[in-house]
Amino acid sequence: MSAFPRTPNTRPLPNVGLPTDPDYEQRLAEFEARIEAGEKIEPGDWMPYEYWRQLVRMISQHAHSEVVGMLPEGAWITRAPSLRRKLILLAKVQDEAGHGQYLYHAVETLGVDRGTLIHQLLEGKAKYSSVFNYPTLTWADVAMIGWLVDGAAIKNQTMLAHCSYGPYSRAMVRICAEETFHYKQGKEAITLYAQGTPRQRRWAQDALDRWWWPALMMFGPHDKDSPNTPALMRWKIKTKSNDTLRQEFVNEIIPELMAVGLEIPDPDLRYDEETGNWLIGPIDWAEFWQVIRGNGLMNQARMAARRQAHEEGQWVREAVEAYARRHQARQAPEKIAA
Amino acid sequence: MPDTEWPRYEVFKQDRPNRPHEAVGTVHAPDPEMALLNARDVFVRRPACHSLWVAPQDQVLTMTALEMELNPAWAEETVPEDAPVRTFHVFTRQHQRRTMVAATHVGQIQARTHREALRKALEQGEFTDRPVYLWMIVPADAITGSREEDVESLFRPAEEKHYRDQSYYSGRVFDKKALKRREREVA
Ligand SMILES: [Fe+2]
Ligand SMILES: [Fe+2]
Repeated sequence: MSAFPRTPNTRPLPNVGLPTDPDYEQRLAEFEARIEAGEKIEPGDWMPYEYWRQLVRMISQHAHSEVVGMLPEGAWITRAPSLRRKLILLAKVQDEAGHGQYLYHAVETLGVDRGTLIHQLLEGKAKYSSVFNYPTLTWADVAMIGWLVDGAAIKNQTMLAHCSYGPYSRAMVRICAEETFHYKQGKEAITLYAQGTPRQRRWAQDALDRWWWPALMMFGPHDKDSPNTPALMRWKIKTKSNDTLRQEFVNEIIPELMAVGLEIPDPDLRYDEETGNWLIGPIDWAEFWQVIRGNGLMNQARMAARRQAHEEGQWVREAVEAYARRHQARQAPEKIAA
Repeated sequence: MPDTEWPRYEVFKQDRPNRPHEAVGTVHAPDPEMALLNARDVFVRRPACHSLWVAPQDQVLTMTALEMELNPAWAEETVPEDAPVRTFHVFTRQHQRRTMVAATHVGQIQARTHREALRKALEQGEFTDRPVYLWMIVPADAITGSREEDVESLFRPAEEKHYRDQSYYSGRVFDKKALKRREREVA
């Protein structure tokens, strides 16, 4: 069907308006008035090209992040410390697969196929969250991902549930309900370790030391370095900026981490009495950009694992197709009565 | 390595008996049976499902109020005289609240085409007590649904998996003894 990214000013869908359209200014004013009034924009509604472009960019990156996000934890399913932990982890990883599907569905409402996007991901041409390019070295890492990484994701996704684009907002509402389970199971597991043997406590602290900064980077560059933010906020694709969300997150999670006896790996960290904010030290953005550009510890491994999973699933897809063909030849599928 | 471009199916989920089916999203599948199974895996990993419907997306008419307003010609079509009358299910979105469903089943209409069903729905006013932002018109004969006897195998197993729910971790769960007990519960 349609390719992405398109060259600017090619109309991707009939309902996407280009600045050169004679009625563009009027439609844009109506569009912005609807958003201002809190209405959702639905598939088929008129929307400016830039709104369409930003949504495709954001939602597809988000979908890829859910899919790649299965890998660091999935690697621990066979090594979970108990049957209960294995069941919980399996359920969480299944959820992330589902989240990817909800989001690919949301992008498809904008006329961009899942197949096109998955192809881009496998070719190494798609972006996804940099946090998944760090290794999971111990079981405490899996637990810390739940608490910290899913915790940060919830902050972002709760905000995105207010998104002006209907399908994205709905996917986020569905995801947030499940994400809270991810966060809580991680918090539970870390709480256990933080109160456990000296070695377990060491693992928990070590996991926090390694995941703290990557989790904070998940909110993206500082507002002043985030060129997309003004357009995204103006059209309520996002309703809070990167720095606002990051601050909300650290304010909530720091007291919780401290309460279980963990130490925040930030020598500059201080509490500001006046604002009630926890003020963090400088984030290493050079590292962030290195990982985004593909030079993180696990970028290669993640893509290799994703490609391998895709290739090894080929026979399943073929079998399912063969089954469908044979089934269709034999009998018409059952229909429900009118 | 292209992904399968299997057709898309719209998925409609009914949480409990006597509740309306709701449009929750789409899945890709090579046939309706597989679409139903994919829909179960994608949209029903937790309980609260009594029935699932899938319908090929190319047989579902989706229209927004704004789309109809900007393109009044949407209603124009020539319906063959001998076209048979069919049953169409009507789904609408009549609010701007934050929810996880796109549209809710409101009733059925007899018509020869999707557009005729939509025209009738607008004329009769039966479904337009409040403004409708989004319409979905689904022919009954395009729907494949789970059956009553599928509930046990398709949806029931999720009911036992309490650890999938956030409420399982609330309350005293962070007390060390309670944690240990829960660990033993499954192991
Ligand atoms: Fe997720
Ligand atoms: Fe998650």
